[in-house]
Amino acid sequence: MDERADNSDTITLESSPANSTAELSDVELVSRAATGGDETAFEELFRRHRRRVSLIASRFFRQREQIEEVVQESFMKAYFALPDFTNQQENSFASWIARIAFNACYDELRRMKRRPESASGDMSEEEVAWLKSQIRTTGAGDDVEAAAIARDLADKLLARLSPEDRLLLVMLDVEGLSVAEIGETNNWSISKVKVRAHRARASLRRVLERFL
Amino acid sequence: MYGKRKKDAVADAELERLGRALVRASATNEAEAEAVASSPFLYTRLRARIGEEQARRAGAETWRTLLGVVWRSVPAMALVALFAFILFWTSNFSSAGGATLSPGVLSDEALMDARDAGIENVVFAERRALSSDDVLATLIQQDEREVSR
Repeated sequence: MDERADNSDTITLESSPANSTAELSDVELVSRAATGGDETAFEELFRRHRRRVSLIASRFFRQREQIEEVVQESFMKAYFALPDFTNQQENSFASWIARIAFNACYDELRRMKRRPESASGDMSEEEVAWLKSQIRTTGAGDDVEAAAIARDLADKLLARLSPEDRLLLVMLDVEGLSVAEIGETNNWSISKVKVRAHRARASLRRVLERFL
Repeated sequence: MYGKRKKDAVADAELERLGRALVRASATNEAEAEAVASSPFLYTRLRARIGEEQARRAGAETWRTLLGVVWRSVPAMALVALFAFILFWTSNFSSAGGATLSPGVLSDEALMDARDAGIENVVFAERRALSSDDVLATLIQQDEREVSR
């Protein structure tokens, strides 16, 4: 799993916690936060991993409020589950928080799917024409306009998929996670991940076929 | 047959490629992610939310404790009810047999403090209530006594 903890600018934003926490490893910080209730230790963990969690949330959601909601939800769950992390003796806090973030995204996707007002909009003729042109070219265009069209179109198309399919496709094609890592994140067996990935791709193909 | 299958496979591959491109396009949102991560009061808002959640969990914990106490008291209350029923049944059984109460068994009258209503009625019947004539006679007597003075 991609573990890109962000240590680069821990000093630049907000008031920095005590210097002693900045030198500690993630596992030591978790231990201090979970057993001693050390607030600065948790703040340091937040500071290190907030970018990674934001990035995961941004894979699924366009609006800033939604991304922040997922970030807050993820760190809140992590805060209350810190003793579990300590008990399980997991090596990587980054993997653990990423797993929590993916689950939070999945929950939010399910909530969105249930809300009728968040139903996917119809595609315009221009979007369908663009989609047809893309099937004949080698890939999505590099210019800004093409990227914007692709993004809007992709949002509308992916909104037609189930939350499970969308989660899986993003994990595979964007995050580049292996089947084993996806299985570990979702508590699925490897064979289940493979079957679900196959179905997710078939669902996406069906959605695309409808417009081509 | 073979040609059609090959054509379908090519079409599937094209759709697959387009699908991957769209998924990647949809996930391209680094600017917003960076804006959220650099939000100056993000941690403050997170702390406030954690505080709310802690308060909510504490409230739920109080209710759970209360329910636990009630749940644990159920067997004790059942035992008391059973004991009372046995006492009641035993005393009824003794009365029905016409036998006097044995010293070790309490009667339901003793338990409930229910006195015999018949006796109270007798007491009330023996008392003579004052009639209006009696009251009038008493008043006249008092007046006469004062006049005679």
